[in-house]
Amino acid sequence: MSILELRHVGKTYGEKENQVNALRDISLQVEEGEFAAIVGTSGSGKSTLLNLMGGLDNPTKGEIFIKNREIGALSRKELTIFRRRNIGFVFQNYSLMPVLNVYDNVALPVTFDRGKHINRKYIEELLRELGIWEKRMKYPNELSGGQQQRVAIARALVNKPHVLLCDEPTGNLDSSTTIEVMGLLKASCRKYQQTILMVTHNEAIAQTCDRVIHIEDGRIVTGKRIFPAKGGDEEC
Amino acid sequence: MLKLAWKYMRYYKSQTLAIFASIILTASLLSGISSLIYSSQKSDLANNKTIYGDWHYYVETDREMYESVQSGEQRDDYLLERCGRMEIRDVAAEEFLICFIHADEAYRQMTHRDLLEGALPEKEDEIAADGFVLSNLGFSGNLGDSLRIGEKDYIVTGILKSEWDASSGEMEVFVSDSFTGRGSQTFLYLGFDEEEKLYRQLDAFLREHEISSDAVVNNGEVTRYLGGEEPAGIYETVKFGLTEEEGNFTYIVLKLQSDYNLAYNGMIFLLCLFSLFVIYSVFSISVSKRTSEYGILKTLGISEEQIAGTLILELWTMFLTGYPFGCFLGNGILSLVYQKFSGVFGGKSTKAAEKVLSAADQTLAEGVNAARFCLSWAAMIFGFVFLMISLAVVALMVVRSLRKQSLREVMSGDTSFTKRRKIYALRPVNMAGVVVRKFMFSNKRKVIGILLSLSVGECIFLCTTYMVENLKIHAELSLKSDDGLGSEYRVSLKSNSLRDTIPETTADKIKNMPGTKGVYATKFTFGEVNHIEELEWDTFFDYQNTDDYFVRRYGGICLPQEDGTYKIKYDVYGYEDELLDQLDEFALEGSVDSETLKTENKIIAVANMDGQGNYYFYGKKPGDTITLRVPEMDHYTDELLKFQSSEEDYIEKEFEIAAIVSRSLAREEGFLQEGFYKDALMPGLIMTNEQMEENFGIVNYSFINASPAEDADTEKVSNQILQVIRDVPKAVLADYSAAIETQKNYLRQQQIFFSSIAVILFVISLFHIANSMNHTILVRRREYGIIRAMGITDIGFYKMILQTGILYGVLADVVIYLVYNHILRRVMNYYMAHVLQFLHVQTGVPNRVLFGIMALNVAVAVTAVMFPAWKMVRENIISEITESAGSGANRKEI
Repeated sequence: MSILELRHVGKTYGEKENQVNALRDISLQVEEGEFAAIVGTSGSGKSTLLNLMGGLDNPTKGEIFIKNREIGALSRKELTIFRRRNIGFVFQNYSLMPVLNVYDNVALPVTFDRGKHINRKYIEELLRELGIWEKRMKYPNELSGGQQQRVAIARALVNKPHVLLCDEPTGNLDSSTTIEVMGLLKASCRKYQQTILMVTHNEAIAQTCDRVIHIEDGRIVTGKRIFPAKGGDEEC
Repeated sequence: MLKLAWKYMRYYKSQTLAIFASIILTASLLSGISSLIYSSQKSDLANNKTIYGDWHYYVETDREMYESVQSGEQRDDYLLERCGRMEIRDVAAEEFLICFIHADEAYRQMTHRDLLEGALPEKEDEIAADGFVLSNLGFSGNLGDSLRIGEKDYIVTGILKSEWDASSGEMEVFVSDSFTGRGSQTFLYLGFDEEEKLYRQLDAFLREHEISSDAVVNNGEVTRYLGGEEPAGIYETVKFGLTEEEGNFTYIVLKLQSDYNLAYNGMIFLLCLFSLFVIYSVFSISVSKRTSEYGILKTLGISEEQIAGTLILELWTMFLTGYPFGCFLGNGILSLVYQKFSGVFGGKSTKAAEKVLSAADQTLAEGVNAARFCLSWAAMIFGFVFLMISLAVVALMVVRSLRKQSLREVMSGDTSFTKRRKIYALRPVNMAGVVVRKFMFSNKRKVIGILLSLSVGECIFLCTTYMVENLKIHAELSLKSDDGLGSEYRVSLKSNSLRDTIPETTADKIKNMPGTKGVYATKFTFGEVNHIEELEWDTFFDYQNTDDYFVRRYGGICLPQEDGTYKIKYDVYGYEDELLDQLDEFALEGSVDSETLKTENKIIAVANMDGQGNYYFYGKKPGDTITLRVPEMDHYTDELLKFQSSEEDYIEKEFEIAAIVSRSLAREEGFLQEGFYKDALMPGLIMTNEQMEENFGIVNYSFINASPAEDADTEKVSNQILQVIRDVPKAVLADYSAAIETQKNYLRQQQIFFSSIAVILFVISLFHIANSMNHTILVRRREYGIIRAMGITDIGFYKMILQTGILYGVLADVVIYLVYNHILRRVMNYYMAHVLQFLHVQTGVPNRVLFGIMALNVAVAVTAVMFPAWKMVRENIISEITESAGSGANRKEI
């Protein structure tokens, strides 16, 4: 069953001569429980695609459906609530709150949705699973990159989202930590039946996922990969 | 570098505009307020010139000397702009002491004795005088009529403007050069170039003409604004104040004020610092937004000096354009406001001053009219140089601070906060509130800095308002008190003998006149207080004790006795009940109630003041007693005033002190107020008129103060009073109505000065608050972006920001309240009581102003945070997280 669907989605930045087509006519379906990697070179549009899927940005054209709801039709408030209940984000730069410790960072999104009713058992379980329970009182700048990314993953999972969107989650990590984080994401995907879309420019990491979506020049590339040659329309 | 600076300015338009606006505003503030204070001092000077004469010094000399001065060549070391000659040709001492003087045009101009009507005397038997003299001498005829003075008749040819305080000194009658009297004393009135220090010019003048400095009389109230005396060194002043027994902090402040115009120069310096503070805080906000860019420039091999150069050029470019514009703006606006207010207040005074001369001439024929707005070039130039240099230092400091920050730190955000090992989410809690508090209080030093910077403008505003409120009361009280002008009309006696009095019937007639109100007849006698055990200020009476006149007439003022006690001469007054009750406002200790005084035969003592606003009455308190001796009037001769005659010539009584007051309300202008001590605060004891009669048998009055009834024709009233006192020997009438109006006008102008300063500071501080609050939100835009990405709704986000704004506003209010009430108010109380010597320092800032400021503070803080929040909500969340995390130069990855 498809949990996420994009229909002819396009995104254009700028106006007139400064116009940049970041995404062109993207159509895509992602199944529930799938762990997909979006791969492309720098500037190919993969991050833009992820942000549109997460409702953090609006498409110029097309429609995006998550759990059969078209997110473009939602009001700002509805979209925000929908996002926090259904989508979790993991960013390359971790994006943790520097003034909160590990536990409070993870608990923060819950309070936006459920007020003061926090499922502390679940948070403990998450932190133990991710191996950072002992670090719960530490602040982000006291943790290594890998530990910070674990906290970011825990925070993304805390609301039990159906979809987890990860933007280069291993971009700032060394290879052994990268393997650990990938393992955690996969385990989470299995355990909580989550759909994960992960942006990466690392083909090797992408190959460990269930599916790899290649994107180049704002378009999804299927089958043979096409690279435009310098200075002309010729393909190689 | 210039190109790079220009590029930055164009790229960061909003920050450039903020810095530019801060430069314009602070330049307006600096130049405007300096010009206001400068104008205020010019107004003070003009006011004092009106009162004390537009001259600097006079020397007793002879005609030859005058001619040598007049014909002398102009020298480089002094510039004598005006030189007036006045000769006393003769003196008639019958009912009044009348001086026949011949003076030139320059003297008449310097002493404001212009001809109002008729012509100056040309023949030996012709005279001209002011309305006060003529009317009190009984002249009510037309010009050309004769007036008898002494044994001789004179033809009155002209009427001159009166002196400010016409009842003081001798009456002056102007005569022609052909008048020959019994003697001649010549005085030269000198007016030097006011752009240069007067004391240097005087020294040069005295050296050239070989005149002793002892022969010089200084018009101190005028020359103190113009460097009339050589200043002491700052180091010596401070050293004396701190190390010597007689010195204290007040001494230092007062000395620096008199020698170096501390109020003006100090204010310029403080304004420069405040301006620097505002520009620096705006600039540092701007720089903090591009810290990483400078880091990148450094990695590209651009030296710190070059970066500093770029920053300096950026600041200086804006400063060179903004500063002149700000000066123009500040001075322009204030000049318009000033003229508007001056016109409103000046109009009435001018009208009064131009009134046709009445029988009893108004004693002020020239008022301080529309005060001129003067530009303070010195402040503008000093401010320019100071800020130019300081801005360069600021740029260097910013670069220095960049050195300490690594790019990694910039990307990690603020890591300097206190890390509490507490998990908030373990208990039911509003995490948004926790985040708000964490943002605010995580770094205590920073939060204190922000709160202080938010409070500084309002605190200054409150202090200024506090001073204006007390100035208002002080102005009213000082006008009412003995050193002010009191009532519009004053009937007094040109005599220093206790024998001369105004009969009770005359006082009753004035009281019953339909055109008068507030008629207070005062009894007076001269007394000696015995058995004073401690003086506290040993040198307090030193000058009076060595004064020739006081020694000759009273045998000294404060006389030590063999038993170690002192006898001190005192003016003793009997007041009307209504006047006495008004004295309660001046009570330092105890309370004033006329009924209690009468029934319990108590007395009120006027405290001694040391010149620094400290009051003292020989360690006595209400309830203590004093022994007072006064001459027995049956055997009265002036010799009795020495209190050395036999006991039966005096009446001695013991009185309990009911209250100690800072001032008396109506006072005798002779006796202890003679000559040099005319305006000094002299010892006084006060009781009711009934007590004066019961205790000392004094029935008649010594002077009467009265005011015109509302809508009364003042000219008619003064004529009626003149008629009533015509038969009272030596009685004269002085009309101060125009002078009072002028003084009121002057005091109103003073209030405008201070209020304008307060308002300007307030506007600047609001700008500063808005900018600081804006910064406190924008500096956290990445964190707010994360929170938004975590799923907080727009409403939730606005609530969070609103909470921040309210919290900052309320905390700033608390800081303002505490700092103002517990520190600044005490400092202001000290300043007003001891430096400015206000009579009343109890009136606080009105509650509506205080709470209004606090509410406005919260409103501005909220508005200032909501605006960037509104902008943030419109921004893309991802760009907020990524751009603020790394650097402004980071392009959003697409």
